[in-house]
Amino acid sequence: MTLSYLIRRLGAVLLVLVIVTFAVFAVTMILPGNAAVMILGEYGSPDQVAALERQLGLDRPWYTQYFAWVAGMLQGDLGTSLRLGMPVSKVVGDALWNSAVLAVTALVGVTIIAIPLGILAAVRRGTASDLGIGVLAYVGTAMPEFVTATVLLVLLAGPATGLFPAGGYVAPWESMSGYWAHVALPAITLGLVMTAHISRQVRSEMSDVLSSDYIRAARLKGLHERRVIRRHALPNSMAPAVAVISLDVGYLLGGIIVVEEIFAWPGLGRTLIYALENRDLPVIQAVTLVLAMVYALTNLISDIVIALLDPRVRYD
Amino acid sequence: MSETNNQTAAGSAGTTPPILEVRDYSLTYGGPEQGVKVLDDINLTIRRGETLGLVGESGSGKSSLAWAIMRYLPALATESDGAILLSGENLRSKSQYQMLDIRGRRIAMVFQDPSMSLNPTLRLGEQLSEVLIRHRGLSLQQAWKEGEAALARTGITRPAEMMKRYPHEASGGEKQRVVIATALACSPELIIFDEPTTALDVITARQILQLFETLREETDVSALYISHDLGLVSRIAPRVAVIHRGVIVEQGQCAEVFRDPREAYTRRLLAALPRPDRWLGVDQPATGAAPLLETQALNVRYGGPSLLDRITGSAKQAVDGAIDVALGVRPGELLGVVGESGSGKSTVAKVLSGLQDFRGTVRFDGRGFVRRRDFDRRYRRAVQVIFQHPDSSLNPRQTIGQILSRPLKLYGLVPAAQRPAKVAELLEKVLLPADYARRYPHQLSGGEKQRVAIARAFAAQPRLVICDEITSSLDVSVQASIARLMVGLQAETGTACIFITHDLNLVRQLAHRIAVMQHGRLVDLFDTPDAEAPERHPYTRALLEAVTPPPVVAEAPVDDLEGTGP
Amino acid sequence: MTSPFRSYPGMVGGLLLLIVGVAALFGPWLAPYDPQQFHPQVRLQGPSAAHWLGTDQFGRDILSRLLHGAPSTVFFGIGATLLGVAAGTIIGVIAGVAGRWVDSVIMRIIDGFLAVPDLLFTLLIVTILGGGMGHAMLAVAVAFTPGMARIARSAVLSIRTREYVLAAVARGESSVYIVGREVMPNAMGPIIVEATIRVSFAIMIGATLGFLGLGAQPPSTEWGLMVAEARQFMFRNPWMVVVPGIAIALAAMGFNLFGDALRDSLDVRRSH
Repeated sequence: MTLSYLIRRLGAVLLVLVIVTFAVFAVTMILPGNAAVMILGEYGSPDQVAALERQLGLDRPWYTQYFAWVAGMLQGDLGTSLRLGMPVSKVVGDALWNSAVLAVTALVGVTIIAIPLGILAAVRRGTASDLGIGVLAYVGTAMPEFVTATVLLVLLAGPATGLFPAGGYVAPWESMSGYWAHVALPAITLGLVMTAHISRQVRSEMSDVLSSDYIRAARLKGLHERRVIRRHALPNSMAPAVAVISLDVGYLLGGIIVVEEIFAWPGLGRTLIYALENRDLPVIQAVTLVLAMVYALTNLISDIVIALLDPRVRYD
Repeated sequence: MSETNNQTAAGSAGTTPPILEVRDYSLTYGGPEQGVKVLDDINLTIRRGETLGLVGESGSGKSSLAWAIMRYLPALATESDGAILLSGENLRSKSQYQMLDIRGRRIAMVFQDPSMSLNPTLRLGEQLSEVLIRHRGLSLQQAWKEGEAALARTGITRPAEMMKRYPHEASGGEKQRVVIATALACSPELIIFDEPTTALDVITARQILQLFETLREETDVSALYISHDLGLVSRIAPRVAVIHRGVIVEQGQCAEVFRDPREAYTRRLLAALPRPDRWLGVDQPATGAAPLLETQALNVRYGGPSLLDRITGSAKQAVDGAIDVALGVRPGELLGVVGESGSGKSTVAKVLSGLQDFRGTVRFDGRGFVRRRDFDRRYRRAVQVIFQHPDSSLNPRQTIGQILSRPLKLYGLVPAAQRPAKVAELLEKVLLPADYARRYPHQLSGGEKQRVAIARAFAAQPRLVICDEITSSLDVSVQASIARLMVGLQAETGTACIFITHDLNLVRQLAHRIAVMQHGRLVDLFDTPDAEAPERHPYTRALLEAVTPPPVVAEAPVDDLEGTGP
Repeated sequence: MTSPFRSYPGMVGGLLLLIVGVAALFGPWLAPYDPQQFHPQVRLQGPSAAHWLGTDQFGRDILSRLLHGAPSTVFFGIGATLLGVAAGTIIGVIAGVAGRWVDSVIMRIIDGFLAVPDLLFTLLIVTILGGGMGHAMLAVAVAFTPGMARIARSAVLSIRTREYVLAAVARGESSVYIVGREVMPNAMGPIIVEATIRVSFAIMIGATLGFLGLGAQPPSTEWGLMVAEARQFMFRNPWMVVVPGIAIALAAMGFNLFGDALRDSLDVRRSH
């Protein structure tokens, strides 16, 4: 991997983030009912509103506000939550940790399950296991998170079974098992959709590899099928698999909003919904930015991993 | 060279036991009832140390035969009776598991395109040594050592270094040498070569052929050499089998088959072979005339290191598509432009057809153009271009009639009411039925599509037609008819032509003058009769030497040529 | 092009689309009961001869509510996708055809938007515009636009270097003719395939918005909203959540399967 490749990718990520800050800022600027009105409620007098606007700096031109906001962010100051009265960095920081636990648990589970499933389906193409995995994948991708979550709740958290809590949060220092019991259902919900999607993508990538000329050439060298799959096919299908997973992190970050809301998990998603309902501008901006940043960084990491996996990219 | 072939043939024929014997073998794709028969009653024998050339056009079943011998057939293939014997053992009775021990060890294969048949993520050394580990039970270190030795035998100068490279770090010729070394690694009884030089440049192809000849002399391996090129096969194989629509129509000693071809199809193939000594082109136009089109100091540069690359020191260099190219075409002349891939010949075509930005001057008919945007509709009408791939040069969503009417409308040549009649006339000119106007491109064969592309170019009543490799993605027999069609139209209309090709034999039949390009530069320009003169540029000589001279045969009847249906 | 109905995914997808289509077009007339009519004697019932899919907390017939909710659920998905595809295609084609700096600028901006997950994007826009079906549809359309623009651009780029397009350029055709007659007719395949698959995502996002209370509003019987209203009673009558949940999944699956079959029959590869 050349230095220039790394710098170019890093530059692209930075550019994306700059554009995201612009977009997020623009979107929140045109939110109807400005922050001062929100804080004071419908009945604040125009004078009170104007005074608060001055205090919050909302009367300045947009570009001044934008640069002040960006400058603050760069120093770790994300502003103060309008509703909670706490520093946004504190609100978002705690939520980020909780969301990360959920997302990483789901992602690890998915990677362990979905990639082998997709490979199995491709290798056993046309057999019952391929069909079964295919049907599961189609059903899985067609279920929105809130449906999966509700069905899981009915099945596993209802009075009949009661295997898992129906939602909420227990701090790990109070009860480790309770903590993970609360993580389980939301993580499974997030994982199901992704497993379906990723296994299908991996199957199609692997099928392409398996029908390539070099796999045919390897088979015609008399190599055992096991070596053909492991040494020749797998390394070539791993790079696209990583790309698919990193793209799916986008779905994951969207799904997390709904899933946290349903399971009352105190993460970024729940924070965001609460902030949206209350038009808590600084929090909305911060959460959106954090999610976009996580996604952009995931793509950067996946590009680097792909470059490590594929010698053609490495020396490009 | 044909003497050596004859000696080899005499030495091996009849006496030694057959290595490969295919008897009464037929193969069908799809069900036994409504399936397509791809191989029909195939019989052939290859003896120890012998090479059999198998010649056929695309869709003739030649590759299917290779798969059948390797026992690597798709699930929907149905085989009739018949036998495939390797040193007397019937491969058809072997299980797939038993075949694992035969493939790579007793029968090996060399494929058309080494950049496709080598795994991009594995080092070349691993791809070579794995067969040694698999079939000869060597340890990794032994296999690696052995692999280096095998590479050295194929003429790779630094085998140890090559072993450590990935496929994209090696040239096409080097990769094909690795593939050949892999095929030879376990000293197989038979190697199947499936068009091993088709994807390579002329000079590289020539080197691979020489390697093939050397290795055949050094080892005792038998070979089935599959190719579409009769001329090439006649050079390297003493015996040839001609396959057409799944049937071997003719088989025998090359010399005999070429001297006295019995089947019409073989005669047609032979007649279609380009021969520099048989002039097809139009008469030489007046040499004194002022050039119709002229380029002065034409330069094209693709890409270049970005600012970032320069800062980080990445070695990305700008590629010169053309450097100071000065060319001229006289009215009515056919100028051949030859060169290997990347030589800049297509860049020149792109510049002249107004598709590529350039520096320098293009003069046409007394007018000068210094930028791509200067080319106006008047120029574009007078200079028409025909592209290489018939499959992509016609818009799949338009009928042939719409495609051919377009230039008539665009240049205001024919009023709307008379366009259908003009389209029919154009189709007739390129020897296609008038009712093709209602068809869509996918309903036509490759050769027919290329005829439509030619008709579209001539519909504009151009003064110059640029033909960019117009025959190279067509079958041999179709190539010849397309070349004849071009020349016929040129004779009829007096249009000048720039004929870009990598086929030296063909261009010597058509062109009045030949320009040779290498690495973006015009290195040689000469009158065609002087092609073999001693003062030719060394690169021209290298190209000429690399070309396989067509086999010496009796003059073929010309009327067979046009029988090229879909 | 072979018929997409030839393959199993195509057949199953086609069948699902037929069922969903009938429900969306004729659902309100096929419904056996008034969707808002209370049947106090039969509250929270499972399937029976009188109420095939059971009843909710007020004894309303779930099947009738489902059939009445079909148009808003399905046409939401189709409408949002059509808007998003139209906007995205225009932007993508402009980028692909213009090339150079126009392309670079548009694509960098699109990269920025693509870094925001679709659902988050939709939520932000819905919050700006305020809830309700119309606004939600617009929000999904806006969220789809960058992705569609990227697909349309890559379709245009792959067509732009075909030799028949080069031939048109060399002939001296106008840009309008080249884009309209040579490029677009051939670039539509991948766009249509992607649009079909995206209808399934739009249906799911629409239902999610309904579920979160940001899309369809009561007394609508949009399916996501049905699930949301049923959550309170999900342990007492699971049918209330399972029925609309399955309906959403089947509708989404129909478009997904059919889109895949369409892609195979048009032989276009999905570009991420």
